[in-house]
Amino acid sequence: MSTETHGPLTETVFYVLLALHEPLHGYGVMQYVGELSGGRVTLGPGTLYGALTSLAEKGWIEPVAGDTGDRKKEYVITHAGREAVRLELERLEELLRNGRRVAKEERR
Amino acid sequence: MSFKTVHRLFWDFENEQRWINEHAARGEHLVRHTWGTYVFEQGKPGEWTYRMELLGASPRKPETRSYLEFLAESGIETVAVSEQWAYHRKRAADGPFELYSDLDSRLAHYKRVLALYVSLTAALLPLSVVTIDNLLDAGRALWFVLPLSAVYFIIAGLFAAQTLRVGKRIRTLEAQREVFE
Repeated sequence: MSTETHGPLTETVFYVLLALHEPLHGYGVMQYVGELSGGRVTLGPGTLYGALTSLAEKGWIEPVAGDTGDRKKEYVITHAGREAVRLELERLEELLRNGRRVAKEERR
Repeated sequence: MSFKTVHRLFWDFENEQRWINEHAARGEHLVRHTWGTYVFEQGKPGEWTYRMELLGASPRKPETRSYLEFLAESGIETVAVSEQWAYHRKRAADGPFELYSDLDSRLAHYKRVLALYVSLTAALLPLSVVTIDNLLDAGRALWFVLPLSAVYFIIAGLFAAQTLRVGKRIRTLEAQREVFE
């Protein structure tokens, strides 16, 4: 378990990690995230490429050893990546809990 | 298949991008570009949307090639690369064309462009000493030295202006970044 404290994940990174719970190639990630977010999040290919590179460097995703015939590179989430998602979900739950409680009260 | 060649130089890549898209809206689609020369192919108006991007490294490098292949998977065709400026296009029918969907990646691109303009401005800077020196010592050769100096100052001025413009854009985005992603 890493003792390094992460900050919040960006929305891009969070959704990319979710998408890669199954092996997917870049375009697949874009479609998946688009569908999951109901069309709200449209990942730009430039942004996505950068995210995939960074996440691979961090060891949160890894390339899938694919067939040599298939040119499209696929990625999949790693154990470290799943851990990062777990921590992020905890953080988001805290935000949601506090947000709902505080913002629900009528304030003048 | 008819082609049209236009000679033009741009200092501001966003102006250039706008100009290329204006052509595309009229059915003239950029298919080739080398320094100062644009070749347009006649086609259906608005068929393609164009975006320019300053690549991080030469297109010969494997990392860059893998990036361009990645773009191709999303239906993005790179019609030309000149001095690391890539000219991408995507069919308008495929939807809106934005390479960058968050502030961080947009900022990264602008910073790359800024670094380029800064280095070009800095490369020209030593020439200012030579130019001013020449002007002061020109004497009878002023008829010759003056126009050359003017050209130098205009070019240096254009680069400096772009450096300032992009710098301002970056500051605006960074201010946004304080609040949003």
